[in-house]
Amino acid sequence: MRVRKVVALGATLTLAAVVSACSSGSGGGSGSKTLNWWTWDDKQAAAYQVCATDFEKANPGVTVKISQYNVTDYFTKLTAGFVGGNAPDAFQNSVQFFQAYASQHQLMPLDSYISKDAFDLSRFSVGVDAWKFTDSKQYALPLDWAATGIYYNADMLTKAGYSADDVDNLTWNPDDGGTFGKVVAHLTLDDKGRRGDQPGFDKGHVKTYGLGEMAAKDFIGQTTWSSFVSTTGWRLGDKPNWPTVFNYADPRFVKTMDWVKSLEDKGYAPKIGQFTSSVSDVDLLSSGKVALETGGSWEASTFAKIPNLKVGIAPTVKGPNGTRSVLSNSNGNNIWAGTKNPDLAWKWVSYMGSEACQSKASTTGTFFPSIPASMDASAQALKAQGVDLSVFTDMLKDKVLYPSPVYGNGAAIQDAIEPQFEAYFAGQKNDSVFTGMQSTTKSLLAKN
Amino acid sequence: MVVTSQDNHTTAVTPPSGAVAATAAPSRRTTGSRRSRFAQRTAPTRSRAARRMDLPFALLLILPAVAGFAIFYAYPTFRGVYLSFTDFHVLTPPTWTGLANFRELVHDGVFWHSLGVTAYFVVLSVVFGTLISLVTAVVLHRVTRSTTLRGVILLPFLISNVIAALVWQWMLDPELGIVDIALKHLTGHSIMFLGSGGWAIPSLAAISVWKWMGYYALLIFAGLQTIPPTIYEAGRVDGASEVQMFRRLTVPLLRPILAMVVVLTVINAFQVFDIVAVTTEGGPANASNVLQEYIYRKAFRQFDFGYAATMSLALFALLVAVTFTQLRLSRANESDLS
Repeated sequence: MRVRKVVALGATLTLAAVVSACSSGSGGGSGSKTLNWWTWDDKQAAAYQVCATDFEKANPGVTVKISQYNVTDYFTKLTAGFVGGNAPDAFQNSVQFFQAYASQHQLMPLDSYISKDAFDLSRFSVGVDAWKFTDSKQYALPLDWAATGIYYNADMLTKAGYSADDVDNLTWNPDDGGTFGKVVAHLTLDDKGRRGDQPGFDKGHVKTYGLGEMAAKDFIGQTTWSSFVSTTGWRLGDKPNWPTVFNYADPRFVKTMDWVKSLEDKGYAPKIGQFTSSVSDVDLLSSGKVALETGGSWEASTFAKIPNLKVGIAPTVKGPNGTRSVLSNSNGNNIWAGTKNPDLAWKWVSYMGSEACQSKASTTGTFFPSIPASMDASAQALKAQGVDLSVFTDMLKDKVLYPSPVYGNGAAIQDAIEPQFEAYFAGQKNDSVFTGMQSTTKSLLAKN
Repeated sequence: MVVTSQDNHTTAVTPPSGAVAATAAPSRRTTGSRRSRFAQRTAPTRSRAARRMDLPFALLLILPAVAGFAIFYAYPTFRGVYLSFTDFHVLTPPTWTGLANFRELVHDGVFWHSLGVTAYFVVLSVVFGTLISLVTAVVLHRVTRSTTLRGVILLPFLISNVIAALVWQWMLDPELGIVDIALKHLTGHSIMFLGSGGWAIPSLAAISVWKWMGYYALLIFAGLQTIPPTIYEAGRVDGASEVQMFRRLTVPLLRPILAMVVVLTVINAFQVFDIVAVTTEGGPANASNVLQEYIYRKAFRQFDFGYAATMSLALFALLVAVTFTQLRLSRANESDLS
């Protein structure tokens, strides 16, 4: 009750509270009602509009308003909405903020609705467990799943004397980089046309890097080092969910980081900070600055549609024991605990989690649905547009995906760990920094 | 006149208690005489009754200002002080934790690092900012009479901080920026101005100096115009060179204005936030993590508002101390001109 009082107090000062107070009472889907749903992805906002239109047709008098805010402001705006009492009825959420919101009672557990509607959670092939909180209640339906793949400039690859088949079967180990390391060195070109593995190669004047930005500050390494280090059996947390420590001091991890750093030092990959955040990985490949790079599955259609450039997609590397291992994460569809229309919000969220909606919305190729049948439909639709997603659908079938851990205090960990990665890759600190990073995560994860 | 004096006398000798009056008897006369002298100097021209009538009206007049001050300054300040003793995450009510935040502050390496980074930025921008504005103002004053040129120097000041930071970020970009293209042609190498630990703060300070230089130069220029030309004539008659006149005449006579400019640059530099938030966001590796940026991240990214309030309080105490010492040291209210 005290929370509600604070919320009410905040609401009096918020102009927008007046706007959100347009609906009265709670209950079923009758009468004129507006349901607000938020996402940070402009492309998904457009994609889900199809579902919103269908939902409005099936529920006369209901208007679904989809709003999109840039990811840098999204969570600040969401929190302001919780305090001010005008948060959306339902919204897209990232696991990084799951714990913070759930522990402060801003998310509605969905268990009673799931059992009432006999909603079958097994329809989702990935992401259900990521949205179970420490109280073992289900707080969200998975909206999508994401993985990592290798994107490469097909012309540069041919010129270097490799075939697509070679890149599909790259091996890797943290000691010498395996065949992956050889390909990357050979793909690198300096301004006199010498390759990275040829004598006289000038690392001070590189025209094309063999590999994209591997040395990144990202503390999970989702689209960078994670698909390499996890083939050694290493995992970020000491347990799959709610870990107490991140294993940065593990020798396998340290060895991998040293290998990543060596690529930077040899001039095979750009140095950290060399390309500012205004340059995306799509820009790097399309400008010819980079010949091959790892990237998120959500970018597959963007890469494939770069004009006048043939981009190939390959699976991630095979590790020392010959298998691949890819991190996958799932965003969730949450309902706000303070919504005035909980039943209607559930109706919308459960409709979004249906095969009908997922198949329709995902033909845009902007996200991968968590429902296998919808994923197949999406892959087929994109194939017709010339985008081959078989690399990613195979990952799902071959079970090489492992889920991203769910952890607490995400923003604090990110702010504490990222500067350490930056310092290591910039050469300001040596690899003894990882021991300190591991103990930092231990104290921050305990702070939940 | 005499009546008021006597009147005052009687109020002065009516002490709150007999015991105090008895012991204070020898000093009574001196107090009384001082009061009567004071009363003579500021003798009221209107009766007390009339003044008493003014009081409600006076209160009514200052009410809007007092209300504004109380709501927008006093209340947030005291609320901030209160929050600095609590654990507050916005969505749940604050819980009192006593001095826990202050203990965390003392042991927080990032906080002390940020303080050092902020001090480094302040030193660079104050020293170079003041020097460059002074030289610019003197050159403007002694060399040119063109108002257009004087106006042009003010242009960067008219641009908002965020836009200045964005434009400089593009110009300093290590791959696409015009500065780096020029550097590559001249030296063959590019510098990661905002992307490397050693260059980040100097680059940010340079942007800040560029932005504010015109404004401070204009202030100093106004100060220069108050120096009578006869002093320079006298100097020239005595055979002083232009440099000597600058050192021996201009700078000492400008001291009050210079003191003000230094105080302004110090306060301004301590408040740096927007150009950091736009360009480096405190990176790389915390190299440009100034205190405001750190406080902002704690509060609005990690929602640790209690600890952020504690750091704000520490910054407030620091700024009060710095400004006070500065004003005392520079004797800003005295001038050598008179």
